[in-house]
Amino acid sequence: MTITREVIETDDATLIGRSLNEPEVFAVLFDRHAPLLHRYVTRRLGPSEAEDVVADTFLAAFQHRSDYDRGRSDARPWLYGIASNVIGKRRRAETNLYRAYIRSGVHPAEIPGLQVEDGVNTLAVNRPLARALLALTPADRDVLLLVAWAELSYQEVADALSIPPGTVASRLNRARLQIRHALNREEQE
Amino acid sequence: MTMNSLETMWAAIPPASPEELAGARRRLLDGMRPRRRFVTVPRLLVAAGVAAAAAVTPLLIGNGAPAYAVAESSNGTLTVTVNEMRDPDGLEARLGAAGVKADVTFLPAGKGCAVPRFAGVDATYGGPPAAGAGELRALVNEARSSKATRVTSARTFRIFPEHIRPGETLVLEFRDNGNAQKPWRLGGWLARAHTPVQPCTPVDDLG
Repeated sequence: MTITREVIETDDATLIGRSLNEPEVFAVLFDRHAPLLHRYVTRRLGPSEAEDVVADTFLAAFQHRSDYDRGRSDARPWLYGIASNVIGKRRRAETNLYRAYIRSGVHPAEIPGLQVEDGVNTLAVNRPLARALLALTPADRDVLLLVAWAELSYQEVADALSIPPGTVASRLNRARLQIRHALNREEQE
Repeated sequence: MTMNSLETMWAAIPPASPEELAGARRRLLDGMRPRRRFVTVPRLLVAAGVAAAAAVTPLLIGNGAPAYAVAESSNGTLTVTVNEMRDPDGLEARLGAAGVKADVTFLPAGKGCAVPRFAGVDATYGGPPAAGAGELRALVNEARSSKATRVTSARTFRIFPEHIRPGETLVLEFRDNGNAQKPWRLGGWLARAHTPVQPCTPVDDLG
């Protein structure tokens, strides 16, 4: 089938509903959300894992699309929730990335000389931050980074991780506090 | 402060480009294809198909050959070439356009499916195994199912619509032969008029 303009402009929930009978429509959901999901995964796991995680996420989403709550027009919480599970299975990659970052101060996806943030300053701030992120529990890190990097709201994070909004708030507070303490400690040292 | 530093951390990483996403997209599209329907090929007709395929010099197909092709002759006979075992629905549609209601399945090597999935018009499907070569030959020579299709080379077979009655479905089951010269074996049967042909439940085939 050809994917029409009307399909491209329709909301996620309608798209997922249609994909039950017309599976190829699901590709529109990929084209819509994969660029930013890929970026999120790259920030968390590095570029070498991103393609795999994005593919696994969308395949799992496709297989479970009949369970999608079509009262939710935006599929991002659902997709990032699935991605969080996939990322959770690759904790070692995440740990390695942070360690590499702490060592070198450069994220593997950053192209030197192209878009590097403002030099030494950025690296000086980010290293302790990476160290602090690494020290968080995986559950707290998921919440914090879904808010900071995927730009989901509290309610969306709650939907993504299937936890109450109150839990999102408490995990976020704890994570922020821990990071602030870690950064202060670094400054004092 | 914390959130600001976090948000700008690695902010230089751009959203992925279509090129970066091409591999993941392809994996999704591959995973989205409906599962192929797998169908059993009763032993007798597999054997007959192999014999027919082996008797003819294999066609050499260059790169870029279509997965399948259907040619219609003036006497109504169809010559079907199957180069690649994919797109069963497309082949079905093409045969339908040529006036033959067909049900096409591609089957990997070593797999069959639980029988029966349809009611055959004759004893070539679902019946007891032939007692010997004589009975097999008789079945193949006399059954309408056998007359309706005949393998003519390693990649081609013919369909003779004069042996298909209105409302009957021509059930075509191809099994991967694991051999580039003789890529498949064919089982072809007629299902009774206006009766359903069920999808296959794949099982290991011992035949």
